[in-house]
Amino acid sequence: MKPAPFRLHRPDRVAEAIELLSVYGDEAKVLAGGQSLMPLLALRLARFEELVDLNRIGELSGISFDGEELVIGAMTRQADVEVAPEVRKSAPLLARALRYVGHFQIRNRGTVGGSLAHADPAAELPAVAMVLGAVVDVVGPRGARQVPAEELFAERWTTVLDVDELLVSVRIPVMPAEAGFAVEEVARRHGDFAMAGVACALSSGHGRVDRARIALFGVGRTPLLCPLVAKEMEGSLLDELHPAALDELAALATADLDPPDDVHATGSYRRAVAAHLVGRALINSLEELRRA
Amino acid sequence: MVAGRFVGQSVLRREDPRLVSGHGRYVDDVRVPGMVHAAFVRSHVARARIAALDVAAAERLPGVRAVYTARDLEPLIVGPLGATMYLSAPIPSPVALASGDVRYPGQPVALVLADSRYLAEDACELVRLDYDVATPVMDMETAAESEILVHPERGSNVVSQSRRWDDDLELAIRGAPYVVTRTFRQPRQSHTPMEPHGVVASWDRFDGELRIWCTSQRVHEVRATMGRVTGIPEQRIHVVQRDVGGAFGQKGAMRPEEIAVVLAACKAGVAVKWVEDRHENLVAGGHARSDRIAVTMGLDHEGGIIGAELDHLEDAGAYPSLGSVGGLVAMMFPGAYRMGGVNWSTRAVFTNSCGRAPYRGPWNIESLAREQIMDAAAREMGLDPVELRRRNVIARTDMPFTNASGMTYADIDPAAVLAETLRRFDYPEFLEEQSEQRGGGRRIGVGVSLFVEPTALGTGTMLGTEAAHVKVSLAGKVTVALGTSSHGQSIATTMAQIAADELGVDIEDVSVVDGETDITPIGGGTGGSRSGVIGGGATHRAAGHVRDKVLRVAAELMEAAPEDLETDRGRIQVRGTPTRSVSLAQVAHAAYVDTKLLPAGVEPGLEALVRYSTPAITFANACHICVVEILPSGQVEILRYVVVEDCGAMINPMVVHGQISGGVVQGIGGALYERFCYDEDGNPLTTTFMDYLIPTSTEVPFIEISHLNSPARGPGGYKGVGEGGAIGAVPAVRNAISDALGADVTDGVRPCDLFESTPLAGGSSR
Ligand SMILES: Cc1cc2nc3c(=O)[nH]c(=O)nc-3n(C[C@H](O)[C@H](O)[C@H](O)COP(=O)(O)OP(=O)(O)OC[C@H]3O[C@@H](n4cnc5c(N)ncnc54)[C@H](O)[C@@H]3O)c2cc1C
Repeated sequence: MKPAPFRLHRPDRVAEAIELLSVYGDEAKVLAGGQSLMPLLALRLARFEELVDLNRIGELSGISFDGEELVIGAMTRQADVEVAPEVRKSAPLLARALRYVGHFQIRNRGTVGGSLAHADPAAELPAVAMVLGAVVDVVGPRGARQVPAEELFAERWTTVLDVDELLVSVRIPVMPAEAGFAVEEVARRHGDFAMAGVACALSSGHGRVDRARIALFGVGRTPLLCPLVAKEMEGSLLDELHPAALDELAALATADLDPPDDVHATGSYRRAVAAHLVGRALINSLEELRRA
Repeated sequence: MVAGRFVGQSVLRREDPRLVSGHGRYVDDVRVPGMVHAAFVRSHVARARIAALDVAAAERLPGVRAVYTARDLEPLIVGPLGATMYLSAPIPSPVALASGDVRYPGQPVALVLADSRYLAEDACELVRLDYDVATPVMDMETAAESEILVHPERGSNVVSQSRRWDDDLELAIRGAPYVVTRTFRQPRQSHTPMEPHGVVASWDRFDGELRIWCTSQRVHEVRATMGRVTGIPEQRIHVVQRDVGGAFGQKGAMRPEEIAVVLAACKAGVAVKWVEDRHENLVAGGHARSDRIAVTMGLDHEGGIIGAELDHLEDAGAYPSLGSVGGLVAMMFPGAYRMGGVNWSTRAVFTNSCGRAPYRGPWNIESLAREQIMDAAAREMGLDPVELRRRNVIARTDMPFTNASGMTYADIDPAAVLAETLRRFDYPEFLEEQSEQRGGGRRIGVGVSLFVEPTALGTGTMLGTEAAHVKVSLAGKVTVALGTSSHGQSIATTMAQIAADELGVDIEDVSVVDGETDITPIGGGTGGSRSGVIGGGATHRAAGHVRDKVLRVAAELMEAAPEDLETDRGRIQVRGTPTRSVSLAQVAHAAYVDTKLLPAGVEPGLEALVRYSTPAITFANACHICVVEILPSGQVEILRYVVVEDCGAMINPMVVHGQISGGVVQGIGGALYERFCYDEDGNPLTTTFMDYLIPTSTEVPFIEISHLNSPARGPGGYKGVGEGGAIGAVPAVRNAISDALGADVTDGVRPCDLFESTPLAGGSSR
């Protein structure tokens, strides 16, 4: 359980990191908190000759809020995001979801950018980023671009980023005042990757749902948005969304899922429990929304 | 036995300051000048013929010292590799490195020595290992009939079997008013000690001495094994360990890897270190449980047990490190109940999987089967499971009691233990609460498990005796040397408590040494819940011998009669006249230096080495009650956990609590989380802690523990307490789940297993 040899590069600036990535191409890998990458290297399931360590790049860490958007640097530790007052205020769902990410020891090292870039289909943050309508800032040798979270995740453990691109920050638009959120998951133990999970963000105006975003995680090859449920909900009167209607929506959200079996759960369980969680998430976020 | 100044008190563990501050010394902390590092090339498949094994490229990697295969090490091997107590067991001798074929995934095939572990692992990747892969035997249920043989030279996949069957009993059981039949399984588990296996070995060909630093339950066994394997005279083999980060049975015998590393050190003439990593430990470090038992129980109209039939099947893996546990399963099955008789057949089979190693109560399936079938029977009869137990339980007044399988118990009182547990738990109140909550839709269940724990077994093996060497120094300080090998049992604390009380000194004036072959008496090590009973007995006796001598010498020095003296805090004084006293140091001075002061007939010196052997088995007994809630998601939450244990007199209640708690946690793991899996082709699937799940602090409830005391007959009245927690917890948890479901849980369960048996209501429920 020792990694194969690699060279460690420790740039101080984003530009240097990009330079290194463009020189080494797919021989290089970015190292952030190391909580996912290091085990892969140690088990020799992955190997890279060059590691580009982002930990010295100060400009990649930090949280700012300009009244419209919350901007979180890629290297900001998950533990810092979890307790940041700006986050609790403008993106409470993110703070709540982080409590499910591993254990605090892991969140002390693990980064927000690393979690998004790693694109584990069972991870919480990618789904949360999707339902909050987040956009990631990407920088590469060909310049900067922005990718909406909905378009970021290509495959299991794969984003649309090129090998020489860096995820530098994530932007989360502030939600309207009348909003409700929920994140629900079932894991074998506290801190394990979810067997099934759901993130949900609803907002309303004049007694009607005006925006509904529901994303499932742990049940597919990427986090999965549920556009059909959004379509059904948007425009509905809050009063119409009684428990039976929500159960139907939950069934709709999970109708096309076909998760595989593994040692922790059967696929059919994941699907059934996902429906249960969608129902619970809708109830809880509606409740919060009604209180708002 | 009167409570001593230290014995019976929760004296703080003297091991803790170094351990909790990160200053323990484990094998990986051992550094020897010139030491190189080993890594293994292992089989990736369960069964194959080795078609090609080419190490040339690995040998050429800079920093690599040597690459060894079976061909290199075999010439050094002159004797069997198994542990002493299993040399005559019907199991194959372990193989240091595979030659010709591989028989389980992870089996070591070659060994690299390099300047660092990193380089050694780099070199492992350069070893070319080609196989002709063959279909493995993975299913224990069909192994005995399979044409494919794990060990072709043995001609059968059956390791061993036993049978005792009485046809009249069978008729009586089958014709009983109530006949209940169930088949129970438990998943394959890994012991997962925090510190995995490992060894540092150094062969000095100039002084002809072999030095071994290990992590073991039996340092004397390590020496005995390596003496046999290498032919190096045992007195030239020196085995040492300091802290051992858990073992749970996995470290009772040397692993083939450890033997290979010692051989490699001898061959290369350099010191070699190998520390198993977690991946290696999970895949190839020794497995446990993985057995199945079919039970039929016949009961009369009143719930009296007419008899039971057992059919036990045990998956031994390819190279088990112990013989079958079937016999003990059968002997302990009656547990704390009266039964008319027991018929049994047991069988252990080989599969192409990691070998079975003893694990905290290796026979535990007897308790699981008995306690679960008691609940099943009660449900079928419409009787409260507790009531069914009450009607059959044995009591102190029945002692000595020979159970239906022929095992004779002494000094236990299960009826009292059951009653005390129910009292602490407040069973009637719980039943009321339960029916209320069930009305509210919650799935809440309670499970009871009552069992008798055979501790300190081993007469007729290396485990039957233990010796303590108690020495008083010139300054009046005490050292106790024991043949135990503490790996978390607090022996340095508990044995000091005993010696301090016997000798009347402060506990700070006593040191305990174990885990070193040169300076400790030959001993069976630590395992099988034996160290408190046998090590404690030996410490008592040896310290008592020294104390007698101290009194005789002190009496002479003070011109008093020995009977009039007492010892207290390192002084020996005339009872009632503390002004007339001498110190232990003064006595030691007379014993070692001023020997003319000694009374006539008293030999110089102030030390004793006394070997103690126990009765065949010392029986302890306990009862667990567990309350669970099954959440709509199928997840199980443990709401309450109560244990009442009768392990006789306690040396240190805090240590006893620790032993019980740790065991209960492992039992919870076995019931709810732990499950080592292979796919059909024999590929291991749960090879890291991401997939092999052990309970963590968030899954473990507060465990309420209390005690009764039916003392054993040996010195101090101690009984073993190491394994009961793990034995009792599996059936308690499973019975609670079964109660909540109203259906039997007959295997380890995952949320998906409980979810599918009772589908969820919609999202609107909790
Ligand atoms: C025991 C354990 C439990 C865990 N449980 C959970 C859980 O329940 N839920 C969960 O979501 N996660 C869990 N994790 C993963 C954890 O959240 C990781 O921290 C996270 O997935 C990766 O973040 P990191 O900063 O550690 O990234 P690293 O491990 O350093 O990198 C991960 C990947 O992302 C790439 N990368 C990192 N940063 C960037 C960047 N800025 N730009 C481009 N690529 C980048 C790396 O090259 C690498 O491929 C767990 C981890 C452990 C060890």
